[in-house]
Amino acid sequence: MTTSRWTSLASAIAAAVASGAPLALAAQSWRTIDVARQLVDSAPAAANIVYGTGTFGLRGTTSPLLYHMQLRYDAERSQPRHTYDSDKRRLEIGVQKSDVRFTGRKEGESKLQVELARSAPFDLSLNLGAVEADLDLTGLRLTRLRLEVGASEARLRFDSLNATHMQNLEVSLGAASFRASRLANANAPTIRVEAGVGNVELDMGGQWTSDIDLRVEVALGVVTIHVPPEVGIRATVEKVIASFDHEGLVQRGSEWVSANYDSAPRKLRISAKTTLGKLTIDRTGR
Amino acid sequence: MQVGILALILAVAPAALAGRQTQGVPSKPSSAAAGAVEAAEPAQTVPKPVALSAEQIGSLRKTIAKFRDDPETVKLPADADIAMGGLTVPAETQMNGPVAAAGGPLHVFGTVNGDAIAIGADVIVHAGGRVTGNAVAALGRVTLEGGTVDGEMKHLAGAIGPVTTPAPVRESPISATRHAVALSGSWLVILLLIGIGVLVFARSYLDGVTESLEGRFGRSFWAGIATQLALAPALALLVVALAVTVIGLLLVPFAIVAFVLALAGLITLGFLAVARITGESVAPAAASRYPARGAALRALVIGVTLYMGLWVAASAFAWAPVVEMVLRGVAVAITWVAATAGLGAAILSRGGTRRATETFAAVPAVNDLPWQTPTPVTGVVAARRPTPTSSSRER
Repeated sequence: MTTSRWTSLASAIAAAVASGAPLALAAQSWRTIDVARQLVDSAPAAANIVYGTGTFGLRGTTSPLLYHMQLRYDAERSQPRHTYDSDKRRLEIGVQKSDVRFTGRKEGESKLQVELARSAPFDLSLNLGAVEADLDLTGLRLTRLRLEVGASEARLRFDSLNATHMQNLEVSLGAASFRASRLANANAPTIRVEAGVGNVELDMGGQWTSDIDLRVEVALGVVTIHVPPEVGIRATVEKVIASFDHEGLVQRGSEWVSANYDSAPRKLRISAKTTLGKLTIDRTGR
Repeated sequence: MQVGILALILAVAPAALAGRQTQGVPSKPSSAAAGAVEAAEPAQTVPKPVALSAEQIGSLRKTIAKFRDDPETVKLPADADIAMGGLTVPAETQMNGPVAAAGGPLHVFGTVNGDAIAIGADVIVHAGGRVTGNAVAALGRVTLEGGTVDGEMKHLAGAIGPVTTPAPVRESPISATRHAVALSGSWLVILLLIGIGVLVFARSYLDGVTESLEGRFGRSFWAGIATQLALAPALALLVVALAVTVIGLLLVPFAIVAFVLALAGLITLGFLAVARITGESVAPAAASRYPARGAALRALVIGVTLYMGLWVAASAFAWAPVVEMVLRGVAVAITWVAATAGLGAAILSRGGTRRATETFAAVPAVNDLPWQTPTPVTGVVAARRPTPTSSSRER
């Protein structure tokens, strides 16, 4: 083989290796949009937030705004979504579309920060993809909360009591790490958590206004439920190839109950299903 | 461009502030004020528009043109109706929107029936001011100073203008062919390098798989198919077995990676064995001409070249998609058969550690001569005929 042929071969190999480069080096058009709407009354509203990839934050605001969205996005692969139907009082925010593309470059990360009025009751629905989410629902008035998360790390917290009775709290996780803090402050009598694969940690601390039914279904993963010691626990556990750490609970028929269950002012009824992994009920009150 | 716009905004800001501090000077009605449906005597300070140079106005016109094509744009008035240098909507005055200003702030003391837009500047809605539509600032901000906006308050930063989605680059047939041939040729080279590496560092394993494959091709092939069918259940079983224990659960990702690596290794080893046998069959080497290692290398190179040559040939017809598809289909089928048989042989031979011919090669030769003579010449009785021991057979 002559030198020129070797050169050609080397060039061809280099070209083959470099053929994937344009995907990574494709020009990006980063933009920032800031959208808000003034609060005119405190009538109930519905909010649907959809976000594919990036960092997401949600919190309440005391500013006289119904909502405030700050979005940094790549205009070539996503499109902001912000519509409000004033007749139906329905808010749609987030992004229209987003390709899941991991560039590994932190500076190119898209971000969505949403603030919702604390004075207006919301029926809140969150649909998140591969997102690192920080959901601080402190101070919000939520009548319903539905959270769907794909593959992400999500933190949810209620640092103060939800001023409105929440009809339902549903969390559906794909492959995710999920931690919820002070869930009793959600003021929801029914909490449902479904997870495919992942680590789920539920802190049932906060202000208990009623008994709570907690349904947890996890296919593969570790579930830890922290419960204040003064709360009575009754747990029904269905498990297949899974361990159940039930320290402090005694078996009564097919259920596990805490010693103070009958006398406790507030009760937590747990219905847990897990296939593989570990379920722990921690009563140390952390 | 954005730096220029920023410089422009900074340049006009002092003038804008000066204008806002001017007392009792009514703003000169601009062309945008043509939409005013009702006017009253202004009772408060009316900021003056900013004086802009022709160059600044030209730059702003370009920005306005880009904003018109932005996905987040709103309906803008005609260029002639956009107030350059800023605009004030006086108190107790109504203007039909859209009302727009560029290069200077849009002050709203009265009412804008529609959208209020500022480009390269801010929208400021003062006490008593009202925008019934949206308040939009491109490269600026929307500020409420006691006023109300019925619609959205939106400001845009970063790039503005149309989203330029890069058009997919369509390769010419020659370029596509060159690229495809280079790619398949690279794989040929990589496989040859791997084969040489295996011959040098792990020849015994390759010999083991080759011996397992020789004469038992059919069995190896079916074993390969069975292995392929069992892959997913085996992986699931592995994950379940690890997940039973909490500590094992942590090892699941590593186990999956190890499983895939082991599988890739077995397939490669098996494929190289098939290539070697193919090479030996197609171009048998005279034992006297090549040493054993040289003959193995020769066979391996020929075999790998034959199999990968199919892919190179298919790639060479990238300019003719139909022919390429047919050839690629043939290459896929033949490569799959070779890889399947090779995988089966690699499994049957435990990765080349167990020789197929070992059972027979280890049997010591039996001296039948004493039994072929009518009278035992060695004095060994018939009942003590030497036979291979079971241990020697199983070794």
